[in-house]
Amino acid sequence: MSMTEEHKEFALINPATGKEIDLALQELQLSGTILPVGARLLVRHVFKSAEPGPIEVVYSFGLPRDAALRQFRIVGEGFSAVSELKPTGQAVKSYEEGIARGHLSTMARQYGDGIINLSVGNIRPGEVVAVYLEILAGSELRDDGFRFRFPFTLAPSYHAKARTVESAPGQGEMELPGEFGDVMLPKWMADAEDLHRIGFDLKVALPHAATEIGSPSHSIRVANGEAGHHRVSLAPEKDAPNRDLILDVKTRYTQPAVLGGIGPDGKGHFAVLAPSHLFGKAEKEPRRVVFLIDRSGSMNGAPIGQARRAVEACLGTLTEADTFGLVAFDDQVETMADQLVKGDAAGRNRASTFLKLVDARGGTELADGFNAAAGILGDEGGDVVIFTDGQAFETETILRQARSAGVRLHSLGIGSASQDRFLSLLARETGGLCRFVSPRERVDISAMELFASISSPVASNLKVESPATGTLSITPEPPSRVRSGEPVVFFGELESSVSETIRINWEADSGPKHMEIPLELVESGDAESVFLLQGSRLITDADSRMIPVQGNRAEREREATRQTNLLKRLSETYGLASRAMSLVAVVKRKGDKANVIPRTMIVPVGMPQDVDFEAYFSGHGPSGRIKPLRMVNPQFPSYEKPQNIFARRDGTAPDMDEDMELISCSSLGLEDIEAEEADKQNDLMILLAGRMEPDGGMPGKDKMERWMASMAALLFYLSNGNTRTSGTFRLQVQRLLDYLEQRKGDGADPRMLDLLKFVQEGHVPPISCQDQVARICFGQAIDRNMLRDHFDWIAPM
Amino acid sequence: MADSPTSASGELTLADLAGQTGLSARTIRYYISEGLLPGPAKAGRGATYGEQHLRAIREIKDLQAQGLTLAEMRPRLMGDELEDVTINSVPWQAYQLSPDVVVNVRADAAPWRQKQIRRLLSELASTLNKNK
Repeated sequence: MSMTEEHKEFALINPATGKEIDLALQELQLSGTILPVGARLLVRHVFKSAEPGPIEVVYSFGLPRDAALRQFRIVGEGFSAVSELKPTGQAVKSYEEGIARGHLSTMARQYGDGIINLSVGNIRPGEVVAVYLEILAGSELRDDGFRFRFPFTLAPSYHAKARTVESAPGQGEMELPGEFGDVMLPKWMADAEDLHRIGFDLKVALPHAATEIGSPSHSIRVANGEAGHHRVSLAPEKDAPNRDLILDVKTRYTQPAVLGGIGPDGKGHFAVLAPSHLFGKAEKEPRRVVFLIDRSGSMNGAPIGQARRAVEACLGTLTEADTFGLVAFDDQVETMADQLVKGDAAGRNRASTFLKLVDARGGTELADGFNAAAGILGDEGGDVVIFTDGQAFETETILRQARSAGVRLHSLGIGSASQDRFLSLLARETGGLCRFVSPRERVDISAMELFASISSPVASNLKVESPATGTLSITPEPPSRVRSGEPVVFFGELESSVSETIRINWEADSGPKHMEIPLELVESGDAESVFLLQGSRLITDADSRMIPVQGNRAEREREATRQTNLLKRLSETYGLASRAMSLVAVVKRKGDKANVIPRTMIVPVGMPQDVDFEAYFSGHGPSGRIKPLRMVNPQFPSYEKPQNIFARRDGTAPDMDEDMELISCSSLGLEDIEAEEADKQNDLMILLAGRMEPDGGMPGKDKMERWMASMAALLFYLSNGNTRTSGTFRLQVQRLLDYLEQRKGDGADPRMLDLLKFVQEGHVPPISCQDQVARICFGQAIDRNMLRDHFDWIAPM
Repeated sequence: MADSPTSASGELTLADLAGQTGLSARTIRYYISEGLLPGPAKAGRGATYGEQHLRAIREIKDLQAQGLTLAEMRPRLMGDELEDVTINSVPWQAYQLSPDVVVNVRADAAPWRQKQIRRLLSELASTLNKNK
């Protein structure tokens, strides 16, 4: 079946009425291949006109992290055409000339903040066209796998000068000021059920088989193919565009992985992935950290609660040697204290009191927040951990301010459509880390995971070189520091196809270290994918620096030209679009009529399912006990509008106290007993972390009880897959091991000491102590006799 | 927006109109589709725009500068379709904080600003009622 035939009979039917739904965008289907270092995707957009005249449809979407558009193919009845990559000015001209002549014109253009407008003009009445858009996108890497995210909706974001309105009940519109150019934003629908349908069918290609593939966002179906190849598709036939697709792929890398091969150009294109544990382990140093909570209106509801829980979980891991600060920001900044405070019980209590008062309210002035955090850290510096949905416009300016603040920003992105691209850039540009958590995930677990990774780096001054021929180029520069839990990734090119060895040098606490990785590249289709992913990463970095500079007009123009030329060069080198280069195609069809103005329609998207619709599009109703009397106009005091402009179509005033209806979620399979059990274990591990004393041991009536309780906690963490260097609770494992070693004289008998030695040697005894751990978690005394029985297990010789 | 006059015949192409107003052709088409601007004076070959389009775009920009969205200005620009709306009026909401205090607040402020104002009003109301 040709692509044309495939869509000729396509129609979206409303199941309730059985009638066809008149939507300009009918379907969005994602396919392609996901590699550990990124994905090469094909997004099929099916457009259909139910209008009596020609239409122009504009679909807006946000790019995922490290993403760029490569090309598109537009297919319709009797035609198929591929886009050209042109400087944006020329692309706009071609598009407009095509529109004026009545031809089918399509353009994909990138704007600031990574927003794309895909415009398809002159679709005829009844005509169906499909646009297949190829996108390169990065992924969020971890030592034990990666997380892939793709936006099926675009979150509305904050800008001080943005204008918003609820233009119809449950329909929000947002307009940006003139400096954003002619970017068109979608209309946001509180209820996404009547919008276009989405689906996905993706291949996951790994060097080794995945140990687990899951999704916290959608119900998925997974089929395993040959080694390391898996197929992941949406389990229901279709879904609604109101959240990102999130895929978690777990793998076990013990050695560096080399991806890529020799491309059609005869050169070697590769990406190297080296897990952090190969570089050593982090030395413990006192932490200097400020927690920064986004309390903007868009965090209202579940996200602000998640942020509070995330901070509480991190506070539980602080020691007396650590110091911390707490800042909450919206368009105002509030701090717990002007200076760092100790991570002891008094400091944690003070933080708990402060957290109780943190509620979602105003705008998102991120820069004010991290400048306040930088002020608290002072000249000695430190780490800032930010909990945010990242919903802000003009992100390039925020990134510039972050770079100049001089602090490492680590982000925990919260939400079903949080700004993956922006927050990953924010972390990378300041030397920090970035993780995301969706509304249906354990935010405390993700926060602990992030917090464990931002301890002292396991390696610094990392350099990559080729000791042999010097024909190797690594671009972009790999990060100079390696952090526990996050692998090192870098892209490179070999001038010739000969085998080569690359050498990674770094500084560890014990002195200089190195490892050698052989590159034995063979001809492979992956070479082109790796090359394109390298390009999309470079373009994302360059685009994030494309901001107006201070100075006179000549200076500003010179800098703008320099930035545009850099992006153009990158676009031409890698064949990828950017803000400087756009994709355009004009298809001449028989019977095209010139100078007929098509009706321009903007494709609506679903409000991200955890974002309060009122945070952006309403808020005119009362809160608390202050109620508006009426709508008035002081210029015309006698005039009282019969109904306010925000009234519903049926004439009733909206009830502003009612919560936004939560859109029902597809089943995640979390109900099964296994998942519930896993959740219980996670609950206990979190509670246990919170009970840990600042000296790293567990509480108890006397030294002996503390030692035994600490041993029980250690065994529980180990039995749940944590070790000194891996797992979310690796920090707790390290601290417990240190405590038990230092307090060996606190009454432990020889059998208990044998058990400790066994564990110190890296073994995991088959003892979980869950019953006694539950007692510790809920503040009850442990049963020493029962624990002695547990500890009586004899290690095999 | 440039104030350059239309040609001797008073007719502009879409590209001319875009050039003179600083808007993109796509944005102008969208305004026409949304009923904010009239369509071209002639349909088909030789579609043209004139002074009324320039004037209307000027008005849209003025209203945007006042903080109105396209959806909010549509009733004003469509004039006769909405008899009960006072031209040039700005919607306000009145909050009674105590029997002797009523505060008017512009209803078209951004939601986060509205929330801030309501929080402050709550505090003020609480203070006023305590000190009665």
